[in-house]
Amino acid sequence: MSKSPLCRPHEHRLSRRRLLGVGAAASGLGSLLSPVVAEELRGNDRQVLCIWLDGGMSQLESWDPKPNTQFGGPFRAIPTSVPGINLSELLPKTAQQMHHLAILRSVCTQDNSHSAGVARINRGDPKDRGVVYPYLGSAVAKLMGPTQSGLPPYVWVKPGSGGFKTDDAGFLGPAYGALALGDAKPPANLLPHSSLTSEDYQLRQELRTRFNERFGQRRLNDEVAADTSVYEIAQALMRRMDLFDESQISAKDTERYGTHELGRHLLMGRRLIEAGVRFVKVNSYHWDSHGDHFNSSDCLHRQFDQPFAALIEDLADRSLLDNVLVIVLSEFGRTPRINSHCGRDHWPEAWSVAMAGCGLQKGAVVGATNALGTFIDGQEHDIGHLFHTWFQALGIPQDHMEYMNHGQPLPVAHDDCSAISELLS
Amino acid sequence: MTDTKQASDSAVPLTPQPIGQPIEYERLLWQVRFSPDGEWLIGVGQDAKIVRWKMGAATDENPAGLTAADSLTGHNGWISGLVFHPTHRHVLSVDSWGQLACYSFADDAASEPLWKHEAAHDGWIRAIAMSSEGTRIATAGNDGIVRLWSTTDGAQVAEWAHGSKVMSLTFAPDGKSLVSGDLFGMIRQWNFEGGQPIRELSAVPLYQKHNNQECGGVRRLVFSSEGDRLAATGQKEPQGGFAVGTPCVIVFDWVTGNVVREMAVGDDKDGFAYDAFFHPSGCVIACSSAFPGKGPLWMWRPEEDEALLIDKKLTNGLSLSLHPDGQRLALLTCQSPNGNGRGLKDGEYLGGRSRIILMRLGTA
Repeated sequence: MSKSPLCRPHEHRLSRRRLLGVGAAASGLGSLLSPVVAEELRGNDRQVLCIWLDGGMSQLESWDPKPNTQFGGPFRAIPTSVPGINLSELLPKTAQQMHHLAILRSVCTQDNSHSAGVARINRGDPKDRGVVYPYLGSAVAKLMGPTQSGLPPYVWVKPGSGGFKTDDAGFLGPAYGALALGDAKPPANLLPHSSLTSEDYQLRQELRTRFNERFGQRRLNDEVAADTSVYEIAQALMRRMDLFDESQISAKDTERYGTHELGRHLLMGRRLIEAGVRFVKVNSYHWDSHGDHFNSSDCLHRQFDQPFAALIEDLADRSLLDNVLVIVLSEFGRTPRINSHCGRDHWPEAWSVAMAGCGLQKGAVVGATNALGTFIDGQEHDIGHLFHTWFQALGIPQDHMEYMNHGQPLPVAHDDCSAISELLS
Repeated sequence: MTDTKQASDSAVPLTPQPIGQPIEYERLLWQVRFSPDGEWLIGVGQDAKIVRWKMGAATDENPAGLTAADSLTGHNGWISGLVFHPTHRHVLSVDSWGQLACYSFADDAASEPLWKHEAAHDGWIRAIAMSSEGTRIATAGNDGIVRLWSTTDGAQVAEWAHGSKVMSLTFAPDGKSLVSGDLFGMIRQWNFEGGQPIRELSAVPLYQKHNNQECGGVRRLVFSSEGDRLAATGQKEPQGGFAVGTPCVIVFDWVTGNVVREMAVGDDKDGFAYDAFFHPSGCVIACSSAFPGKGPLWMWRPEEDEALLIDKKLTNGLSLSLHPDGQRLALLTCQSPNGNGRGLKDGEYLGGRSRIILMRLGTA
């Protein structure tokens, strides 16, 4: 840690300088991963788009319907583009993309509270080794670095405010945090003031570079190194302001994805993937339907269905699905039991995760719940299994699944779990 | 049975007193209704069965006089509503998979439907209503279509697009029009010959755009026996992430369309007013449900500023039915715990149950 009395970079609000931290992954700072491995992975063009449904999506109203059973709820199951696989009627458009999807119906995780569940799922629930593990996005940013696009490796599209979110990075350090685009908008003050000429701007960059180099010589640590080495990434984002130009979005895309929040954000997610961001996370909030769940689901699941189906269709049509791993994740599912205000509560015991894309089976359902949907029938799979599966699908070599944290070797995922071979292509 | 607030001594005569022990049912029901002849109590809900109890004479062993009979089957998903033909001893029921069916309910043995439409609607039918003379029924739901059917043979006689999810229906007292309540808190009167809107009333406090969700809606519409007042049930102002608000019934003067009384009862976690009816005395009796032990039963004369009675022991009420004798009341309550995680009991994962409390009302 820095011993400087000065405040550290990640303690500032987002600015161009704050953006620099993201680029530390690009710099391959090297202390946490073998440089050889990092270099190999940098050439890997695989990407991730992770959709986080905060609060927990009901498996029974989505990926694992149990119609006409005690806990099955009011909705029907509908056939999909894959004979024999049914989804909830609340996902009619997604059902037509089932031939691209892989659904794991045997997810059994450990935590039924938001406070612990969110982090546990996002960090992959590794064994406790006295360090805070990174979220999946930070892990991928570390393990794979940015793509050749030079764009930040971990971008988070979320409702509300943006900023640079360092908490996700855990022990990897703040450089591996997420660049959050609040409401899919660019960071505030990203562009230089209009009164600044390009010549003056260039002069300032040169001066800033000299200052940073001198500053860094006396304070060698990851934060300083990140700040001094990755202005190129911020500048790359500045050069891609077209990503935020809504006039470039076709009317057809607007119609297909929808004008609601999740629709707009998933469309931005697709555009960021197309632009070359390594890991894009898109958050949707308020899925915690303890009350009036079935009316909520009828609203929220349809808000998800429309843009998700469009996203999968687009990625497939553009052959991007061969290289992009798409994940739909929550902290848990929802209880089979319907409570006294017609809601479903938190249920980590038996839920589903949907995926698509690189390295995965297509049109597959793996694992099963029992007839009532209450518990797993057969092999249970925890989030650790999924982390192994995703890392393998992304082409991270099995024998390089280890961080090096200041001399402490740390497995990148739970060492008692392994990849789910039935999901892998 | 009652405790709590009594704003007026006039509540005392109506105070419900339990008759015998409650009836327990192993699954969650949504609605109970006495048949027009008063000889049956019928419930419908999450097990897709039409559950029947025959009403006989009260005895010491069975003070309520209710005896379970075979359930009627043939529905799917949830049965979301039922109505009785006024004279034919037929019950008509709708479910969440879009089926409308007509049964003879008064035979001791279970029977097949007299007729049914498996796809009367695309998906969840939220409301069904019977015209007062018994010739027409109306159905509507999530597909936003209103349909009228002949009660004789089930033939469809009219349909029109409503334009939004319909959550409640009732025939107007004039016998010539239908009244609908939708998700957005709008109440519309329709000429049912042509499906033309006649007028709109606003119950928008019952609708909420909350946390990206379309919440609330007009859950039940009921007219007073004189036909001069209309009550719309639902909830107001949900808080937090649970979409649970304050139970509310809005009473309109049907002639003028003006709001006579907005009855918001309980606190902000007491949930929806799921059902209500006008007692012949003019008093609105309503029930509500939310977390276990939340959601009171109340009585309120619309012309008075305060409720006559708010009973916080008779909680988690989903449905109310007044017996044709005007003296007995059935309250359906939800017996389902809230809770995250397993919640096993003796190693078993249990679902919610229903409890029907039969009560006697005094005269107002």
